[in-house]
Formats: sequence, C-alpha cells, structure tokens
Amino acid sequence: MKEKVKIFLESDLLEKYLLDDTTKEEAQQVERYIAMYPEVRENYDMLQKNLETFARMYAKTTPEGLKEIIMNSAKKERMVSKRVFRYAIAASVAIMVFAGSSFFFWSQNKSLQEENTLVTNKIKYLEDNMKDQLADMRNQFIVLNNPATKKLEVKGKREGKELKAIAYINPVKKLSYINVSNVPELPENKCFQMWAEVNGELVNLGVIKQFDEKDKLLALPYADNAVGYITIEPEGGNTAPSVDNIVADIKF
Amino acid sequence: MSTLIERHIVSLLAEKDDKAISLLYENYGDTLYGVAYKVVKDEDLAQDVLQESFIKIWKKADSYDASKAKLFTWLFRITRNTAIDKLRSLSNKADKEVQIDVSNVYKVGVEGISPEHLDIQENLDKLEEKYRVVLEALFFEGMTQQEASEELDIPLGTIKSRLKIGLRELGKIYGTTMALLLLLNLLP
Repeated sequence: MKEKVKIFLESDLLEKYLLDDTTKEEAQQVERYIAMYPEVRENYDMLQKNLETFARMYAKTTPEGLKEIIMNSAKKERMVSKRVFRYAIAASVAIMVFAGSSFFFWSQNKSLQEENTLVTNKIKYLEDNMKDQLADMRNQFIVLNNPATKKLEVKGKREGKELKAIAYINPVKKLSYINVSNVPELPENKCFQMWAEVNGELVNLGVIKQFDEKDKLLALPYADNAVGYITIEPEGGNTAPSVDNIVADIKF
Repeated sequence: MSTLIERHIVSLLAEKDDKAISLLYENYGDTLYGVAYKVVKDEDLAQDVLQESFIKIWKKADSYDASKAKLFTWLFRITRNTAIDKLRSLSNKADKEVQIDVSNVYKVGVEGISPEHLDIQENLDKLEEKYRVVLEALFFEGMTQQEASEELDIPLGTIKSRLKIGLRELGKIYGTTMALLLLLNLLP
C-alpha cells in the first residue's frame, strides 16, 4: 500500500466525510482518493455499511399516520415546485419583455437626445450667424450713410485690368468695406485673393469668388494708414501674398 | 436491502415519482426515525425531523450522486443534520425564552426502542461501551471530534482511534445480524 494512502486511511478524513463533517476542500481530497485508490474505496464502502448497521440498531417504529402526512407534504411540495416553475417562466417572460421594451425606449431616448443636441447646435449656429450678419448689415449701413465715409475706386492693373471695385472707408467709425463689382476671367488654376496690411502684418481676407459676390460688401479690417492688396494666386488661395502678382492696391 | 431496490428508488426519485417516498419510508423510515429520535430525544420532534428530512430528500433528489455515497449514507446525513439543526434552533430559542423549562422538551432515556429491536439492543451492548459512547456522540449528538473529546474528557487522538476501531468492530459484531435486520425491515 502506498505510504500516502496509508497515512490517509490512518487520518480521520474518511470517517468525517462519511458523516458529512468535512470542509469543501477535505471532501474534494477524499473524493479524489476514493476515485484513485481501490483500497480507499473499499474502506469507504465498509464504513458506509457499518454506518447503516449502526444506525439500524437504533431503528424505532414510526407512528401510525406519519407516512400519510409525509406523502401529502411531498405531493404539496411537488405542486408548489410546479407552481414556482410556472411563475418562474412567467417572470422570465415578463423580465424579457420588460428588458426588451426598456432597451427600445432607451435607444429611442438616446436617438432623440442626439437629435435634440443637433437641433440645438444648429439653432445656436444660426443665431450666431444671424447676429454676425445683422452686425455686418448695421456696419454696412453706417458706412454707406455716414458723411465721413470716403469712397475709393479701385482699379486693377496688368492681368487684373478689368477688375473694378469700390472701397468705403470711415475713419471716424473705423470701418472699411469693399465691393468688387467686376472680376476679370482668370485661368482655371488661378484666383484673386485680397490682403490687408494692418500694423505691418499682412492679413488674408480671402479669395474673391467669380460670380457670387458682385453685389456684396466685404468687410476689411480697419487700421489707420492701412493698405489693401488684391493679388493673383494659385486656385484655392495662398498663405502669403505673391508680391509680383499684385494687381490692385487700396490705400485707406 | 438489495442494490436492485436501492437503484429502483433512486431512479424513481430522479423521475420525481411519489412511489419513491413510499418505498423510502417503508425501507428506511424506522431507521431514520430512530436516528432522528436518538438525536432530538423526543417523539414529536423526531416526527417533525423525519417529515422535514423526507421533504429535503424529495427536493434534493436531483443532487443525489450514487458514486459519492450509498443511498442510506445520503439519507442518514440529511436526517442527522436536520435533527441536529432542529435541536440547535430549539436550543437557541430556549436560551432566549429562559422561562420555559427545557427539561420537559427533551425526554431522556431509551424508552423509544421498540421491543422488536431488543435483540439488536443486546447486540449493541456487545459493542464495548467506550466505542459506543464515542460513536453516539459523533453520530447522534452532532459533536465534532474536538467537542466529543472535551465533552467526554477523552484525548482527541483516542476519540479518533475509537471512532475508527468502533466502526470496524461494528462490522464484525453485526456482520451476520445485518441480513436478519433487513429481513425484519422488509416485513410488512
């Protein structure tokens, strides 16, 4: 017999297991030994047999009627179990329906919230845009109606000969606008771009589009003794003006 | 009991067939009632314990694993533990309600042993007292080996060896009685 089997059998683990007095770990160990070693299984079987023998020594006749009580209790228990099972099914279905509808409402709520955020942002954007436009309109009105406003005709030269524009400058209100009324045709890969030299720095005022902005007043950043330029640049505009390509200048 | 009947009961239990309870009661009822009585020492309580145990057996039928324990071992464990739990819950209750005279609750003695078991009682006496005391303490009093050692004032090592030897002695003493007992139990 293996030494560890001998040690195991000499311990009281098997007896404790017989009476269900072992811890979970001990029970696992015992079950492992029973499965692995036939002599342990043999001992366990003998202990079980002797337990039954010992217990039967104390057998006592059960009172009359107890069997019927027990049988009825078992029947009731079975009915309760069945009922509980049915309730469990019903509850499961209810939970699934609830979970499904919760998810549906949750996702709907989520998409509505997203839509709401989108609409709110759009409204905010429109509001800001409208405010800007209103402020621009007011400034345009001031510039056009103020007696202090100077009107400067801008004429192009070289490739921009056909370019016609009028600049409105108001030194009192410190506002300046330009209206480009005619833009000459340029090759497809070229465009006109406006610049303003403010306090020694050149500010990009953007590309003049061919058709859309003929009746529009474009705001220019105002500075005393500022100079505005129009240059021909590659399509899409340039980050810095090409000095050689200046086709018009506006002196405030 | 033959293994065949045991298997039959197990399969009926697994199928949740009422007949399982009836067969269990007929074949093990008296023994389990005796075990319950031995623990709680009161007939009414023992009946309650037996009823609760059978309900547990009925409910736990799915969890019975024949490879881990014989049917009787499983039934014994359930009944013994139910009886010990019952006794402990009553003891806790009695501790709280000090006015109740607990001596009325627990009848002391072995008057419950039925006449047909007197022969067995005699046989039981053949088991040396020192082993019987230890086996009873561990099997029916719900004591751990440590508790039995303290209660009986016997060293723990001796408790362990008496349990071991006592169980083996049983095999020798009752080896032949077993067959007779089974016949007695199977009689209507």
